[in-house]
Amino acid sequence: MHELSMASNIIEIAIHEANKRNATSVIEVNLVVGKYSMLGLEQLRYCYDLLIKNTLLKNSKLNMENEDGKINCDKCKYEGPVQLKEDPEYHIIFPTLVCPKCGNPAEIISGRDCYIKSLRVKT
Amino acid sequence: MAKIVEHKEDEIFDIELEETILKKNEAFAEKNSDLFKTHNIKTIDIMGSIGSGKTSLIEAMIKRLKEKHQIAVLNGDLTTTIDSDRVAKHGVNVIQINTGKECHLDANLVSKALENMELDQLDLIIIENVGNLICPGEFPLGAEKRLVVISVTEGPYMVLKHPFIFMEANVVVINKLDLAEAMNVEFEKLKADVMRINPKAEVIGTSCKNDKGIIYVIGALNLN
Repeated sequence: MHELSMASNIIEIAIHEANKRNATSVIEVNLVVGKYSMLGLEQLRYCYDLLIKNTLLKNSKLNMENEDGKINCDKCKYEGPVQLKEDPEYHIIFPTLVCPKCGNPAEIISGRDCYIKSLRVKT
Repeated sequence: MAKIVEHKEDEIFDIELEETILKKNEAFAEKNSDLFKTHNIKTIDIMGSIGSGKTSLIEAMIKRLKEKHQIAVLNGDLTTTIDSDRVAKHGVNVIQINTGKECHLDANLVSKALENMELDQLDLIIIENVGNLICPGEFPLGAEKRLVVISVTEGPYMVLKHPFIFMEANVVVINKLDLAEAMNVEFEKLKADVMRINPKAEVIGTSCKNDKGIIYVIGALNLN
């Protein structure tokens, strides 16, 4: 959802950081995408490529790295990945918020976010 | 004289960051949340599908809560003041936030609305989000609780088709139960769909038109 505004935010952050250091161009953006962020990577890349034209990020490469998701169970203290259920009623895979060990409701503690790990710039 | 280290021309170097992409909204959401805590205000973000009964639910809740609480309502819509006019009739403060073309409220808009309010005189703020089961989930407003409203007249598949927003909900209201039979939609099936996605959510059936189930919603939100 909103891959366009995500791409726009990524570019804004990159330009801001590049300007802070007087860089003239951004060559690479290294993005970490959480497994549970449910972002459409193809759409994100498409929007990114559209929006970088005529900016400091022109011709830059967008690298996307996966970050595993982790849930935390209040009851049995399990911390770790959860099954992404392939449910025939759904056309996409999404995490069920249930502890794989004891079946208690669980909470996602990592893998929800998408963040810029680093930028490669040129002065 | 201190040595000055600078990047030379045409030099390539890496900048390490840990910026989450939605940090702007997160920052505003946190700012809002801090304000609510400072002023001891309970805030509820009410999301839900178009025409599900969000405004009706708010009206029904206000009728019961306005004696004991100092309430303000923020209403989000692309345009018109239809919903805020309805709520204003109950004698509470309302602010209409018109988003233009934006399909959801964001924390920045809410922050701007809060600047125009006397927070010292309030203990409950109800935010009615734009009717939409997809986008609002991604944009927390800083509210203490998030509630999602759907209605039986939308058919049996609303939960299955929109899992992400239900993952965010503390309370789920399934409205218009008086029409369930006519629609051939079962409350228990919809409730089971929610529990599969989010076992922690509290699911309550209502008929806002007939004033049924409202006290359970109020209870689930700890607003007694």
